[in-house]
Amino acid sequence: MSRRKIRFKINGVEKTVEVEPNKTLLWLIREELKLKGTKKACERGDCGLCTVLLNGEPVKSCLVLAVEVDGSDILTVEGLAKNGELAPIQRAFIEHGATQCGFCTPAFLIVGHWLINRNPNPSREEVVEAINGLLCRCTGYKPIIDAILEAAKYMRRT
Amino acid sequence: MLPKFEYYSPTSLSEALDLLEKYGEDAKIIAGGTDLLVSMRDRILKPKCLIDIKKIPELRRIEYKEGVGLTIGAAVTFKDILEYPNLEKKYRVLWEAVKTIGDMILRNRATLVGNICNASPAADSAPALLILDARARIINKNDGVREVPLERFFIGVKKTILKPTEIVKEVFVPEPPANCYGKYVKVMRVQSEDLAVVGVAGLAYRDRGDLIIRLAYSSVAPTPIRVKEVEEVFKKKNMSLDEKIEEAVKISSEKVSPISDVRGSAEYRLNLVKVATRRLIKELVEVV
Ligand SMILES: Cc1cc2nc3c(=O)[nH]c(=O)nc-3n(C[C@H](O)[C@H](O)[C@H](O)COP(=O)(O)OP(=O)(O)OC[C@H]3O[C@@H](n4cnc5c(N)ncnc54)[C@H](O)[C@@H]3O)c2cc1C
Ligand code: FES
Ligand code: FES
Repeated sequence: MSRRKIRFKINGVEKTVEVEPNKTLLWLIREELKLKGTKKACERGDCGLCTVLLNGEPVKSCLVLAVEVDGSDILTVEGLAKNGELAPIQRAFIEHGATQCGFCTPAFLIVGHWLINRNPNPSREEVVEAINGLLCRCTGYKPIIDAILEAAKYMRRT
Repeated sequence: MLPKFEYYSPTSLSEALDLLEKYGEDAKIIAGGTDLLVSMRDRILKPKCLIDIKKIPELRRIEYKEGVGLTIGAAVTFKDILEYPNLEKKYRVLWEAVKTIGDMILRNRATLVGNICNASPAADSAPALLILDARARIINKNDGVREVPLERFFIGVKKTILKPTEIVKEVFVPEPPANCYGKYVKVMRVQSEDLAVVGVAGLAYRDRGDLIIRLAYSSVAPTPIRVKEVEEVFKKKNMSLDEKIEEAVKISSEKVSPISDVRGSAEYRLNLVKVATRRLIKELVEVV
């Protein structure tokens, strides 16, 4: 199995690494780059907790091959805060207690961030639709939905 | 961990066909990978070589031509379909079915052609495609394109007529009948993300005043199926509409052959087929 050289940008930083074709994007992020915010759980597309932005769109990174991201731009939860300042979505999650055990939080932050940047005035239904592929076993989703709506308000103010 | 394989990402269709010719049974096409990578992880499939078709521009094409129909290339995602202008109106039943598949994040990657090539009995896009008379355009290195009606494409659970050296280049969905109304009903265990316990697609329109109804099902037979026999019932002259609906429900429930699995028992599924079919026809008839 031949290794492949891939180049990509992750959280604004250019990287070049060699990977085997049978490695996933999730593996690349967690094991090669040691960015452990993105979670590994079901590894079959069901839980959505491995979600990151690939060229600006959310994908479940356990179902993307690392070799496929050659030339791409990736955003993980570690790339949300800028110069030590939390992103609007992160502030809103803290204020709404949208985190309990925290295992699902990175995925919800990424999808919430994606949604409010695309649509700074989402309806509750649009938020529910956006997070439909993500599982949380603690919060019952309400504080998460409230936090995303609140973060959208921050976005509209700035 | 996935089993080991070589990975190719050809940028032209001819390159992809050459690779398939070379590797044959050992190769698998990867589009969105949402079925394939799960099966490989479970070691159900262990291809020696994966051919990624997402970098082939020709396969990314989705195009509707008024009066002709809709062409959906093999690398077109469900997201691309939902965002294509006017499809919600023109191809309502297909659009609705696509909207039920997985979730928004999954639909960013998963393709319609992957959905039919995977040939799960639960493939949600299949019933709508069947009643819209969709055809698969299949290509291999030596023989050019052949066009196969979707009804003949599925041959068993996860089995299609595709040969190892063939690719489905695109699916073609002809212009729907004028003023038709279609709907997809997906009965699920939960109000969220799941495969269907039973899926029913219906299309109704009038042909010189006569009511025409088409029905197709997922998750109730080894393959998605269209029940053409019901179409004859609605052409009959000496029956009331209610009698025709009951006759159609009876025929459909005889044509399906559900099994029991984690999502429901065969008996429950059969009952759902009857209930969903009856309700769906009544709703369609009210509109057309
Ligand atoms: C969390 C989750 C939820 C899901 N929910 C649903 C659902 O609600 N409804 C539903 O129907 N499905 C669902 N699926 C299944 C799957 O997402 C769909 O079947 C999807 O359409 C497959 O498309 P793909 O592009 O990912 O296919 P891939 O996984 O890339 O390919 C599937 C199969 O088809 C073959 N293939 C792909 N393209 C071609 C081609 N052009 N020519 C020849 N062979 C080809 C591949 O070799 C492979 O065997 C779900 C899957 C997951 C992981
Ligand atoms: S780990 Fe990727 S969806 Fe669960
Ligand atoms: S906070 Fe625990 S899973 Fe969501």
